[in-house]
Amino acid sequence: MTNFTRKLNLVIVMIFLVIISLVVLYPLVYVLSAAFSPGTSIATLSIAPFADGFTLDHFRFLFFESNYPIWFRNTLFVAVTTSLGTVAIASVGAYVFSRFRFAFKKGMLLSMLILQIFPSFVGMIAIYVILLRLGLFDSLWGLILVYLAMNIPFNTWLVKSYIDTIPRSMDEAARIDGASHFRTYLTIILPIAKPIIVFLAITSFVAPWMDFIFPNLLLRSPSNQTLALGLFTFVLDDTRNEFTRFAAGAVTVAIPFIIAFVMTQKMLLATLGGAVKE
Amino acid sequence: MTLTLNNNGQSKKAILITSLIFMGAAHILFFKQYIKGAFFALVQIAMLACLPIIIPAIRGLITLGEHQPDLPVRFRDHSMFMLIDGVAILAVVGIFFCVYFISVKSAQKTYRDFCENGRLSSNKASIKEVFNQSFAIFGLAPSVLLVIFFVVVPLVFAALVAFTNYSSPHHIPPGNTVDWVGMDNFVSLFGGHAVWTTALASIAVWTLGWAAAATITCYFGGMIMAVIMKDFKIKFAPIFRSIFILPYAVPAVISMLVWRNLLNGHFGAVNRTLQHFGIVDGMIPWLGTEAMVRFTVVMVNLWAGFPYFMLLTMGTMTAINQDLFEAARIDGASRWRLFRHITFPLVTYQTMPLIIMSFTHNINNFGAIFFLTGGQPAVAHSPISGATGADILITWIFRLTMELLQYHYASVLAVMIFMILAPFAIAIFIRTKSFREGEL
Repeated sequence: MTNFTRKLNLVIVMIFLVIISLVVLYPLVYVLSAAFSPGTSIATLSIAPFADGFTLDHFRFLFFESNYPIWFRNTLFVAVTTSLGTVAIASVGAYVFSRFRFAFKKGMLLSMLILQIFPSFVGMIAIYVILLRLGLFDSLWGLILVYLAMNIPFNTWLVKSYIDTIPRSMDEAARIDGASHFRTYLTIILPIAKPIIVFLAITSFVAPWMDFIFPNLLLRSPSNQTLALGLFTFVLDDTRNEFTRFAAGAVTVAIPFIIAFVMTQKMLLATLGGAVKE
Repeated sequence: MTLTLNNNGQSKKAILITSLIFMGAAHILFFKQYIKGAFFALVQIAMLACLPIIIPAIRGLITLGEHQPDLPVRFRDHSMFMLIDGVAILAVVGIFFCVYFISVKSAQKTYRDFCENGRLSSNKASIKEVFNQSFAIFGLAPSVLLVIFFVVVPLVFAALVAFTNYSSPHHIPPGNTVDWVGMDNFVSLFGGHAVWTTALASIAVWTLGWAAAATITCYFGGMIMAVIMKDFKIKFAPIFRSIFILPYAVPAVISMLVWRNLLNGHFGAVNRTLQHFGIVDGMIPWLGTEAMVRFTVVMVNLWAGFPYFMLLTMGTMTAINQDLFEAARIDGASRWRLFRHITFPLVTYQTMPLIIMSFTHNINNFGAIFFLTGGQPAVAHSPISGATGADILITWIFRLTMELLQYHYASVLAVMIFMILAPFAIAIFIRTKSFREGEL
């Protein structure tokens, strides 16, 4: 290959990468600019980003005139509780699955794997009735219970695969020294399994922020709305096209997401890869 | 009172019968395991005490309530509550029989140990044993209960509804009752009712086509980006990489809603931009016709999904032995041949499980279809089926449930998805290391 064709190839590849970058960035830049542009509908926005002037009106509207603070508080509560609950329940369950032998173990593991590929809103009518019966309909706790139940099958598998890689000799040594199972789990297993636990805490914290289906089904009163419910009303209804307000709300959620993601991406992929190989 | 035991195996039958007659009896009478025995006995007593609730609930599950047109609506039998209660009670009964099974097994095991050691384990040792086992029981109980009552019971309910006529307008409780109809719904969907059958066939084919197209485009898209950036030793590669992973970092629902507005056929920014530069004359109906919307969802999904596979390929490529490339290069292999015969097969082999998982995920990729396309475009069967040109099975289930109240057909679709996906789950299970090494 001559020097010239090599250079030509490189230029073509660079142009290709720049074009792809523009396509990738376009919607993101556009929504960022919409969040700071006057007007509400996407129809009146200029096609070039940041060409309509600059305003903080939409953020002012969200924070002071809408229920955004309530949505945010509710979502934060649901996300934190779901995250803590998932970590506690799934990690203890995973420890038991990894270290104990008991009846029905194989069947339970297989059914967890099958349940995990099945979208749980298929059973939403039943979930609705069960929560109604428990008096947890239109309550954030009801929503949390549903999220916990949805999170358990896959995450128990994930943590179990991880604990399986920890040598049994480590906890057996502790057991011989007289430590109870709870103590072994707390002082030996949990510290070693910290990476997967952190991963679990983050992923189960993130999911509730943008879930629409279950809050839409289970929450009714305005004081119990979550962020996704509130923000989506700005754009889901075609007669009420308040794209810029939605954009402002989306930006407030997406930017923390992006920061958290960039910080954890390596771990995320290592975990996803490891979960399958084990 | 302790009955005497033979340690040569002759009391095996006595143990079996005692433990079968009443849970825990064998533990208390023969083995002096009072705590364990009392626990089992309590479960049995609770179960017997609940019989007055259990029997009517199961009868309700079988009959689904009587027609009571003369009663006011709120006093009539509510078929769906009866169905759910019945399933939940069946779950409780199922748990009871599991505990029953465990108690019998435990009695037999204790007797085997007795025969081997010639004596019962000391009280202290047996209490310690109970304490250890209680960790497993209390550790698993929250998982098992939550999963049974919020995942399994709802899914079993959904599957059972497929065999009832639960649908608008004539069979919606509490005004009317719902009845078991056997396979009727399957018959009408699979050939009995022309419009529904057409709708199902076209949506099922599109679901598989969509899942394949979405997975393949994202996989190759991601791999091409990874290979190009590595192969050409691009300057600024880290900058490009940071840009390319952005779509993966933004919550998918937000991206889909943003794209939906950008691609709006009337006022969307994409159409206005294309017009501004004179690339097109009219408005392109990105989400307006069946063919266009299907093309658009795959493309937007590529935008959202390629970063995942790009990162994955990058990670896998670093693990390939560089000597392979060196040897091939010395033999004069071109860049394309290096990719075709080394990178591609090795990366694909490594990531195959993730490709399969991505395929099953796409079959149920509700967000990409529902939030991007909204309720358009209408097709020939839409007035009856309620499905749009972009709908896959899972979004159709959502519409049948929330908009059309055709719960019976929605459940048939759910059963179908289960039949498609369960083999994948079992395949993954059999592949797992712990299963292959026989640890389970």
